[in-house]
Amino acid sequence: MQNLVDFLLGYKHWLLFLLLEAICLFGLFSSDGYQRNVYFTTANGIAGSVYSAISSVTSYLHLKAVNHELEQENEKLLKQVVALRGQLRLAGSDSASGGHILPTCYHTVTAQVVNATLHRNNNFITINRGEADGIRPEMGVVCSRGVVGVVFLTSAHFSVVMPLLNVNSKISCRLRQSEYFGTLEWQHGRSDITYVTGIPRHAKVRKGEVVETNGYSDIFPPGLPIGYVMKKSDSSDGMSYLLKVGLFANFQTLREVSIITDYSQPERRSLEEKADSLYSD
Amino acid sequence: MNHQIFQRTGRLALLLVVQIVFFNHIHIAGYITPIFIGYMTMCFPYGSSRISLLVWGFVTGLLFDIFSNTAGMCSAACTLLGMMQPALLKHVMPRDAGEGFSPGIRSIGFAGYLAYAFFCMLVVNAVFYTLDAFMLHDWPFTLLSIGGSTLMAVLLCVCADMFRQKAKRG
Repeated sequence: MQNLVDFLLGYKHWLLFLLLEAICLFGLFSSDGYQRNVYFTTANGIAGSVYSAISSVTSYLHLKAVNHELEQENEKLLKQVVALRGQLRLAGSDSASGGHILPTCYHTVTAQVVNATLHRNNNFITINRGEADGIRPEMGVVCSRGVVGVVFLTSAHFSVVMPLLNVNSKISCRLRQSEYFGTLEWQHGRSDITYVTGIPRHAKVRKGEVVETNGYSDIFPPGLPIGYVMKKSDSSDGMSYLLKVGLFANFQTLREVSIITDYSQPERRSLEEKADSLYSD
Repeated sequence: MNHQIFQRTGRLALLLVVQIVFFNHIHIAGYITPIFIGYMTMCFPYGSSRISLLVWGFVTGLLFDIFSNTAGMCSAACTLLGMMQPALLKHVMPRDAGEGFSPGIRSIGFAGYLAYAFFCMLVVNAVFYTLDAFMLHDWPFTLLSIGGSTLMAVLLCVCADMFRQKAKRG
């Protein structure tokens, strides 16, 4: 303490000098003049730049949360679009007058992609949800942009998804406007392109037309977007069209997916299995 | 001690009146206004207390600021001069001179006094005009103001010293 007092006494003229200069500058900036305006303008400019930099950093740090919120929002909107489109379709057709209406509202469980392969023939995606979260094989997997694939295997806390980018993946789909249906298959190669087979040659197919799920399976509800028609060509047997489809889902950057958990219709499935068994007998 | 304080107060009052009544109204070429008030701090003898130099410098500048509506500018300049005055004087005074050495043409010679006055007035005018301009967007104008006002103030310092010598002799 004594050393501190000695030190301060030794430099007392410096301390007084700084104090007096501070008083002078305070007086200068307190007066309602040019210097005050310049000071505050500059100070505001500097503070603004600092705040802007801090804001950029915090925004960047919160990107994950923002991205998660956007994914959920997109998914919610996608559900609404699918539901409304289904209602619109039913309202415009005779089937609206009676019969069982397919469920167009569905519930999902979100999951993070923990592993993915994209350059093999049999690509798979591993997600961090499993049987403990109610996930079962043959449940549909979607992202905010569209269909991703189907759950293939499950364990307690993880599941393996067979994405559209798997040569064994076959998804029943249709063209949104003309409603012709076909099968979506992937051929080894690019991760953003698949092919639709089985579209009859008399179908009017327009470039850019949306390809969506048709609801024929009990995996996906009808109307979920898959991709858009890029090119129309003849199939190898010449009996139908082969459509080159650009996928909406970006598998290269896929981080968050949703599993459709309650779309499966046991009644329908058991009936179809019964029909299969009768035919096979 | 009291005599010294009265003498300095009287000198300060005289300087203040001269500065405010005459020199503040000189605007050569529109930008040269000599800030001569630093002469008060410049005249302190060698070995004066640093605290007293700072306080006198601050008070001198503050009074100038009050009457010239230049809040803080001159007090900042004169306080800095108060801090630097011993070092500046040490460079021009004879080596054998001790405490109580008073700066003047007769004691340190014309050239030495000119150099001493120049650096003292440069400190005051540079700080004053820099704070006045505050930004460097018109730096040639600021430099001209500092240079011109410093030279004018040095000339006035020489005249004031001659006047002091005459008064002493008389």
